[in-house]
Amino acid sequence: MTNMTSRHRKPAAFRLDDPDVVLAPAQAEGRAGAGAAAGGSIVVTPAPEPALPAAAPAPPAPSRRRFPFGTLFWSALGGLIVLGLGLLGTQLVEGLFARAEWLGILGAACGTLTLAALLAILAREVFGLARLKNIEKLQVRAQAALATDDRQEARAIVRDLIAFERSEPRLARARAMLASHVEEIIDGADLIRLAERELMGPLDEEARRSVAAAAKRVSVVTAISPRALVDMLFVLVNAILLVRRLADLYGGRPGLLGLIRLFRHVVAHLALTGGMAAGDSLIQQMLGHGIAAKLSARLGEGVLNGLLTARLGLAAIEVARPLPFAALPRPLLGDLAADLIARRKPDDGVPASEQS
Amino acid sequence: MLTRIQAIAEEARLAARAILEFGSHLLHPTVRLGVTGLSGAGKTVFITALVHDLMHGARLPLFEPLASGRIARARLEPQPDDAVPRFEYERHVDALVKNRAWPESTRRVSELRLVVEYQSLSGADRTLTLDIVDYPGEWLLDLPLLAMSYREWSAQALKLSYEEPRRRLASRWHAHLAALDPEAGEDEQAALTAAKLFTDYLRACRDARYALSLLPPGRFLMPGERAGAPAFTFAPLALGGAEPPAKGSLRAMMERRFEAYKGFVVRPFFHEHFARLDRQVVLVDALAALNAGPAAVKDLEATLAAILGCFRPGRWTLGSALMRPRIDRILFAATKADHLHHSSHDRLERILAGMTEQAIGHAKFSGARIDVAALAAVRATREATVARGRERLPSIIGVPAAGEAAGTEVFDGSTEIAAFPGDLPEDSGALVAGAEPFRGLSAGPAREADYRFLRFRPPPLEPTGTGTGSVTLPHIRLDRALQFLLGDRFI
Repeated sequence: MTNMTSRHRKPAAFRLDDPDVVLAPAQAEGRAGAGAAAGGSIVVTPAPEPALPAAAPAPPAPSRRRFPFGTLFWSALGGLIVLGLGLLGTQLVEGLFARAEWLGILGAACGTLTLAALLAILAREVFGLARLKNIEKLQVRAQAALATDDRQEARAIVRDLIAFERSEPRLARARAMLASHVEEIIDGADLIRLAERELMGPLDEEARRSVAAAAKRVSVVTAISPRALVDMLFVLVNAILLVRRLADLYGGRPGLLGLIRLFRHVVAHLALTGGMAAGDSLIQQMLGHGIAAKLSARLGEGVLNGLLTARLGLAAIEVARPLPFAALPRPLLGDLAADLIARRKPDDGVPASEQS
Repeated sequence: MLTRIQAIAEEARLAARAILEFGSHLLHPTVRLGVTGLSGAGKTVFITALVHDLMHGARLPLFEPLASGRIARARLEPQPDDAVPRFEYERHVDALVKNRAWPESTRRVSELRLVVEYQSLSGADRTLTLDIVDYPGEWLLDLPLLAMSYREWSAQALKLSYEEPRRRLASRWHAHLAALDPEAGEDEQAALTAAKLFTDYLRACRDARYALSLLPPGRFLMPGERAGAPAFTFAPLALGGAEPPAKGSLRAMMERRFEAYKGFVVRPFFHEHFARLDRQVVLVDALAALNAGPAAVKDLEATLAAILGCFRPGRWTLGSALMRPRIDRILFAATKADHLHHSSHDRLERILAGMTEQAIGHAKFSGARIDVAALAAVRATREATVARGRERLPSIIGVPAAGEAAGTEVFDGSTEIAAFPGDLPEDSGALVAGAEPFRGLSAGPAREADYRFLRFRPPPLEPTGTGTGSVTLPHIRLDRALQFLLGDRFI
């Protein structure tokens, strides 16, 4: 109680027609009271009318039912192919049995193992896809909750998020902290922002490092590689690895199908934001490229490839991150590009970790 | 034994009506929205604003059906109960817009039916009927009496009246009580005097300086048309042993009247309005209690706990809909949030959640959904920052009602002021449990109080077209409240 009395401010009322009271024009809170020197000892700054929150998005309407002939076609075709493969397999094993019994047993064992492994792979793919879907859903829900400031929904999202990131050991402390806040009365949007700061903060840092490292690798290899084919391959493999690492980092564990899906989203995202990004970074890009190209054509190409990789990495972060960027700053190409063009200075203390 | 049979009979009656209503609700989906709150909590304003906003499509961005344009229109319809007066929506809006005055205190039950036409998410045209009931908040105080005997109530009322600050206010009644022998013969004059002094004491407790709320029986404060009937002429007595009262004694008479009061007044009210609600919003004026002091806050807490004990929260099931209607969503709302800067709303919500902790736990356990919000159905103020020296006070600007006083100043109802009401504590428990409770108006002179929440007049509202229908009522979080209470019924 003592700390309350020490910080508690007494109530006060000021007549606006009092000569001591100055009514300042309405302005944003941060600059309130700037005109204190203008006259009276008390300055009243009305807050601007608060902006209305965005309208709540309607829950998606159930789509008009049309018979899914496409699905039917593909399912039926898939069934036929599987049946055919099964037939081939059994015929093969039967043939082997006809030759010699031990051959037949070996064939049957191999067949069973193949089947079991295939099932396991499929299960993992499905699991990975489900996790990716989960990420997308969380993003959409969080965006809506940020707009509507809905506390119940925000709580549900944060709970889901905690469950989703359960396997990330680095976040154990942040998870516990956040879990203790979930039941408290915090406005919905604030709860989401809190979750973002706690859970996404450390991961963002790591993600940024990964992207920078990959970009750097690409630019160096491009600059020194003897053939165009080699560096094209290298860029491709590097991009795939980068997207995969970022997805892993944020909690999605994509398999092959998942990776394809993720890549599609990343490319779509790049196409979508390409126009916007052009405004702020194209000049920079061209400038960097231009100066580097003046020095050496290979070097310029290396810088360009590195920048493209960084751009891809940033898009991948947006896609793989379960929460939209609201409380934390969105990583910008500029941050990474500076790193990239500056190369390694002698006093750069962290090259070892960046190579990991 | 008698009470058991009574209880069973009641349940049967409720179940019978529930089955009948279930049938009609299949054809016309209906929501009975209970707007509960002690007197002065703002029930009438809440209902008026809700009806106005739905009918005229106000700015409710977070109320999805309206914001996304799925609500085609809402209209008033004749209410189902012919014996109950109509809620005078038009008069209340007129008062708000033309005279800039809040609706006067409610004196009787009234009802309103609103039919909302909307298109469901799948595209079908539907209607939803909304039945809303308004009643004097004082009557709520009677609900806990249903579970009490005269002896229990007497003991509780006496014990309360000996606590500060009630003790000061009850001294005249206490003097009369000391001279009264419960076992003496029936004496109408003694009963009349006791009832009058007891009522005076209750009235005094309700003064804004004390703002106490646990003051049953509620009809003593707001008697309606039956004032003076024997069922209204009783008072607690100092009772000794547990033996049954002698026939013809004063005590037997009081006991009889207490039971009559319960039977004729409280029980019908409970049946007609409380036992059949689907959704519930509990409006609480926590600011008046904070104005008055820790005693008022504690009192409010006890009152809320007792009243909420009468509700029947629970998840909706077919069985419950048929046999025993239950409330499946409850919103606890701290009203008059416009009397505070928005940066304090979280703290106000926390204080309210702390006050209703028991009720929230009970309702959650039974499966009902609960939310807490600080809201203002009609927003009367603007926000501002006051710079005084190096201090920055998050304040509000508005016109205080005539007669409101802050410090030494009394306002005339036309001056605009900027007011800083005092910092709410971070930890709601510190309000009453702390080693050094805060000072309210009941403790001493007004200038020493830790909080001062002034009552502001309604805002100046400019109609954009003709008539009061074109006026948009500003609000705080009313849309979120509606989304929580009704959003799922518009799917």
